[in-house]
Amino acid sequence: MRIPTDARRRLRRARLILLGAPIVLVALLVGGSPAAAQDPEPTPSLIPGPPAPTPIAHPGGSGDNQCAACHVSLDDKQQAITQAWQEGIHGKGGIGCADCHGGDPRSDQITVAMSEEAGFIGIPSRDDTVGICGSCHSDPERMGQYGLPTDQYSKYWTSVHGQRLLEADDTKVAICIDCHGSHAVKKASDPTSDVYPLNVPQLCSRCHSDPTLMESYGIPTDQYATYEQSVHGQALIGNQDVRAPSCTSCHGSHAAQPPRSSEVVDVCGKCHTATQDLYLESRHAELETAAPKCWTCHGTHDVAKSSEALFFHPEDDPPDYECTTCHEPPDMTLKLNVEQFDNEADRRCDTCHHPESLIYPQVEAIAGALAGASSAQETAAEKVERARSLGMLVDDAENALAEALTAYVQGQAAVHTTLLTTISGHTDESVAKANRAEELAQGKLDESDFRRMAMIVVIGLLLANVVILYYVLRRIEHGQDQGQDAEPSP
Amino acid sequence: MAVDDMPVPTPPVSSARPGTLQRVDDWVEERLGWHQLAGVLLHVRVPIRAKTFFFGGITLFLFGVQIATGTLLALYYKPTPEAAYDSVIFITSDLDFGWLIRSVHHWAANLMILFLVLHMIRIFFQAAYKYPRELTWIVGMGLLGVTMLFGFTGYLLPWDQRAYWATVVGTEIAGGIPIIGDFALEVLRGGADVTEATLSRFFGIHVLVLPLMLGAIVAVHLVFVHQQGLADPKEADPRPPAVPTGRTKPFFPNYILEEVIAWLFLLAILVVMASIWPAGLEEEANPLVTPEHTKPEWYFLGVYELLKHIPIKVVGILTPVVFLAILALLPFLDRNPEIRARKRPVAIFLGIVTIAVLIGLTIWGYVS
Repeated sequence: MRIPTDARRRLRRARLILLGAPIVLVALLVGGSPAAAQDPEPTPSLIPGPPAPTPIAHPGGSGDNQCAACHVSLDDKQQAITQAWQEGIHGKGGIGCADCHGGDPRSDQITVAMSEEAGFIGIPSRDDTVGICGSCHSDPERMGQYGLPTDQYSKYWTSVHGQRLLEADDTKVAICIDCHGSHAVKKASDPTSDVYPLNVPQLCSRCHSDPTLMESYGIPTDQYATYEQSVHGQALIGNQDVRAPSCTSCHGSHAAQPPRSSEVVDVCGKCHTATQDLYLESRHAELETAAPKCWTCHGTHDVAKSSEALFFHPEDDPPDYECTTCHEPPDMTLKLNVEQFDNEADRRCDTCHHPESLIYPQVEAIAGALAGASSAQETAAEKVERARSLGMLVDDAENALAEALTAYVQGQAAVHTTLLTTISGHTDESVAKANRAEELAQGKLDESDFRRMAMIVVIGLLLANVVILYYVLRRIEHGQDQGQDAEPSP
Repeated sequence: MAVDDMPVPTPPVSSARPGTLQRVDDWVEERLGWHQLAGVLLHVRVPIRAKTFFFGGITLFLFGVQIATGTLLALYYKPTPEAAYDSVIFITSDLDFGWLIRSVHHWAANLMILFLVLHMIRIFFQAAYKYPRELTWIVGMGLLGVTMLFGFTGYLLPWDQRAYWATVVGTEIAGGIPIIGDFALEVLRGGADVTEATLSRFFGIHVLVLPLMLGAIVAVHLVFVHQQGLADPKEADPRPPAVPTGRTKPFFPNYILEEVIAWLFLLAILVVMASIWPAGLEEEANPLVTPEHTKPEWYFLGVYELLKHIPIKVVGILTPVVFLAILALLPFLDRNPEIRARKRPVAIFLGIVTIAVLIGLTIWGYVS
């Protein structure tokens, strides 16, 4: 059975409405980074998706599936399809061939089972597939028993994929089966499933790393390679840490689209909640669209481990200061030129806060506070390590060092507030704890020196005893020789 | 046994009135007749050709060091999982010279096993286990067993990760012994797992049972040695027993002085080891976190490596048991009365091969 006629009509109408819509809108929706979305952003009006069709009706119940009985013994391809279905979640759950392909599953006669009269539709078109999946998966009554959500269908039509399908009837865009598979559908919690969190980057990259496929959309294809090197990619792919974000964590899955600039703080804040709270206290947050967001300093797919290097450009490579970096002509209002921050080397405070600016001394003070704490920890860590290598127990010094690191990390996070007093409160504490750790480690080093000195004295005394005893022995032996003591025993 | 009739050295008497020491000696002698006892114990003679390298005496000295340092440690150590680790940190970090006592105990334990093995090797190559010293050898094997048990039980006491998991693995191996394995595992652990019950029984065994056992067996060993005298490596003891014909020297004071000099060297080595490589401590024991690499102490490394390579577990566990049984019965298996190395090529060859295999397995276990 196909998508109901009224739904198809609406779909067609929607395509017509937007046939001449500006290409800019598409570019806006599929843009690779928030940089592509200039603020203030018009909220794009979405083409409404069709209502979910009713599920395919066919004779027989869920137990009837004569299709498999024949197809499993046909050629290799059919055999593979049948096996994949049997091993998939649908095969195991009693969802048979006719539920997606129509026909009469009770009959093993090709002329009956696969007849038009029995409603056989063969391989559904990519257009129809979304509706076929959605017909069941948007039905709360059917999905209730599996505890599955039912909003995937409606979400899909809001995604860049769904919108493109609606708008341009572009069947190259991702549909349900491209991610979930068709016959071998697996649970998302199954580690062998393509949609298992650890496998998602690979899954998305199948299309998004394909230059031929992406060319017509003007989307870059380096996201996977960039992501793979990022802290997020290393955690997810390298460490197999399912808590780390994959593509869908920021872009959404069924409702996939690039986060808009105004949404970025919330998207990152889904995981970095504490940092988001700190950021919202800052002057940057008050400036809203004119000021930096998370990605301005940390990037998007290429998020790296943050460090003190984010404050300033290297001395030998200062930024090229342009008024337009932060001010928009003609009235030179405050507004970031977001494209400049695509360049990793420019994701620095001094890209905006140039040395003559009023804020620059504060940036210097914040950087100095963190550098001081960092250097105090390094000094302490070096001493703790030296004491440990001498065999000393350094638990207490290590604890103090761990506390110093905690305070330092809090200071690092507090940089998002841009408030010097808040930051230096943490860094001062970090310096104090690091100094304590250094003091304890120095105590261990002194103790080790004492032990070695004492050892020399004790060895000296022991050797003196050896010499004396040896002398006594020789004296005794001499006396015995005199007395012919070393005679054969009687 | 040759009892020397040399008188006990007495302090010079400078006046008609005997000195305080002399008077005390007279007072005790009158009541106990201890000159005779001392004469029997000390005034024996040893063959001049005897080459002991002082290995046995050093092992005995190290046992004394262990008793002294162990007693001091027991004053502060708390044998419960909640307190054990902290008490070891307290001993090592806060207690005056606690680090020294603990480190000396640690190193003396290792050296004790080393010197015990060296002593055994010396006895083997000098054929000193043969007539009339068969029983001394068997009692010596008992000393080896008890000393290994000392190491095994003492290893758990710091209650750090290494201690805990080495005990888990060690008791697991005991659990693999056929027939009695399950029972042995239960008895060793005091339950199904290494817990508080294991710690308290290991502590009890380590500080009460084993010292008494070792003390008693050492006493028997020494009585045997005293009765037989030291073996002459060049000449087998006459059969039936007769007074040896080789040149001898007094056990006291000559041999004792040499022995004490060796002990002082050992003490110096202990001080150096304790000062330069103090006993460490890993993270506190955590039954929920298995470390990546769990290895036993070096003296169990050979067995550990052997177990890894013998596919049938029972065979792997029985191999060292059978080896120890053969070793214990060596005086009865090796019927060749000859003691000169050249005249017992098979025994010497097997001995060298065995030592090479044990060293090889130990090194393999260390690097693997």
